[in-house]
Amino acid sequence: MSTVLETTGLSKRYGRTWALQDCTLALPSGRVAALVGPNGAGKTTLLLLCVGLLDPTAGSVQVFGRSPHQQAAETLPRLSFVAQDHPLYKDFTVSDLLTLGRRLNPRWDDALARARMQHLGIPLTRPTGKLSGGQQAQVALVLALAKRPDLLLLDEPLASLDPLARRDFLRTLMDAQLETGQTVLLSSHIIGDLERVCDYLIILSAAHVQLAGDINEIARTHKRLVGPRQDVAAIARVHTIIETSHTARQTTLLVRTSGPIVDTSWEVQEASLEDIVLAYLTQQAAEATKATERMQAPLPAAQEPQGLEQEIEEVEL
Amino acid sequence: MIWLTWRQHRIEGLITLGVLAVLGVFLLITGLNMYHDFQQSGLSACLAHYTDGALRTVCGPLANAFGAQFQSLILVSAAPLLLPALLGVLVGGPLVAREYQQRTHLLVWMQSVTRSRWLTVKLALVLGAGAVAAGALLALMIWWYGPFSQLNGRFSPPAYDFEGPVLVGVTVMALALGIAAGTVTRRTVPAILLTFALLLAVRYTVELGGLRANFEPPIVVTWPLAQGLGSGPPVTLSMQDWVIDGGFIDAQGHITNDLNCSGGSSVSNAQTPPAIPPAPLNPLQCAQAQGYHSFALNYQPADRFWTFQWIETSLYLAISALAVAVTAFLVRRRLS
Repeated sequence: MSTVLETTGLSKRYGRTWALQDCTLALPSGRVAALVGPNGAGKTTLLLLCVGLLDPTAGSVQVFGRSPHQQAAETLPRLSFVAQDHPLYKDFTVSDLLTLGRRLNPRWDDALARARMQHLGIPLTRPTGKLSGGQQAQVALVLALAKRPDLLLLDEPLASLDPLARRDFLRTLMDAQLETGQTVLLSSHIIGDLERVCDYLIILSAAHVQLAGDINEIARTHKRLVGPRQDVAAIARVHTIIETSHTARQTTLLVRTSGPIVDTSWEVQEASLEDIVLAYLTQQAAEATKATERMQAPLPAAQEPQGLEQEIEEVEL
Repeated sequence: MIWLTWRQHRIEGLITLGVLAVLGVFLLITGLNMYHDFQQSGLSACLAHYTDGALRTVCGPLANAFGAQFQSLILVSAAPLLLPALLGVLVGGPLVAREYQQRTHLLVWMQSVTRSRWLTVKLALVLGAGAVAAGALLALMIWWYGPFSQLNGRFSPPAYDFEGPVLVGVTVMALALGIAAGTVTRRTVPAILLTFALLLAVRYTVELGGLRANFEPPIVVTWPLAQGLGSGPPVTLSMQDWVIDGGFIDAQGHITNDLNCSGGSSVSNAQTPPAIPPAPLNPLQCAQAQGYHSFALNYQPADRFWTFQWIETSLYLAISALAVAVTAFLVRRRLS
């Protein structure tokens, strides 16, 4: 399986703030990947870098083996991007937008676009500004799909939609994906919506990639361990502890396993994807808090406050 | 891209076309009327027969009658001043700014057309259409102003602005400045304000700031105060020459017509050359007392008209090129 999207040490700085730092990942072809992280984690920045709308401060990003920023003429026809809140020309009719798509894209599939609009019951003669939010999102998605991209990126596509519109939106997306096998990367600040449609997960938090991999693989290697309250050092020697919580008598861990759990004092439970994501985000937040506390306490020696400060600052584009 | 540009700007385009059409009909009707009167009254023949020097004396009454009848129409000459500014502010300003503001740049820049190409086509079409519109207006105005230009000349304002390619230059510049301002501000309303401010600054520098008057050093004519207040310059000035300034000249070469004598005498400037300066309360002694020795007049001769037109047009096109460069740089480099 070839790689569609590859980033190496990808970093982007706005002014003095790093929106994305040292991001290295590879997205195999044909995947439907979820890019999950809290608001301000750098998701939008990463997507904009991937489609070539931004150029990196450091590191590199390659789409189909090319730089999307430097070689836009080659990559643009094979990429589609639906920006957050799916901007459209509000005074254009749906038909105008289809004409725009047809005239500006060599691979445009007009029949597909018209069929989808008809299927969705969206009148071609209506100005897009007069459509409902869900319909506008659908129009933006159809525009992106009819371009026949090899890689489709969507930034928070579900954020502004009600549950019904979310379901319809995902249905349109998954129908098209099944048909064409195109690679999809969609971002969200919650995993719940995406769990059913995605088979690949990238967790982004505080400008860094925390985890990236096949969803089944992630589910298989992450376990919840419950046992009597105890020291966790032994577990930490073999496995990676993502999250620890203690009650008076009990210790609960979320670990990334590096093999079977042999210590029988732990009860091993499956962890839901949502738990895993939350654990990674909590871990990051805890580290950030610690960093802040360290900074606020009088420093015994020159530590490197600059780096810490940048790490916890967040930027949303 | 051509379709998209048309689709996005067709309303502005049609309005501009409509305004030009209405203005054209108006100019045609009044112009024909004016030409008719110009011929019938004998003014045209008079002007052709006598040299410009004799204009006031021989053709004067005819000219005055013609002026009295049609002078109010000169208000039309505001149109060539307004059109470029309106296009710059209302078409240029929002061109990129509105994309940023409504975030549609994220839609249009993700089609299979690179940002450079998107900008190139838009600029070429919009600036080109602006130039064509200005050219059409220019042709209309040159024809319409014909009689006036024989009477009043075309070198001095406001005729200068619509008697040559400067009108096309200023229109292209207004559009380019508007587009650049919109790319810098990324918001429509600030873009409109900034465009307006930039246009005013350029026009102020060129016209009132005296840049245009000094594209080539003006010719200075002096004659002694001793010749008296009624005396005129020792050269024959035609109406086609542009008299910039007139009054008294001191040893350093400064020309003034504001003497500030205790008598409160101030001499009106010399826009109408032979009548310098009309005499209020004995300004002659006043001038002498303040160290002025001569009357003076500086002007640009008529044969420099086209040189000036091309210099000023080039200046406006250079500013346009700079604005386009700024726009291209920002569009390619910056996203929001």
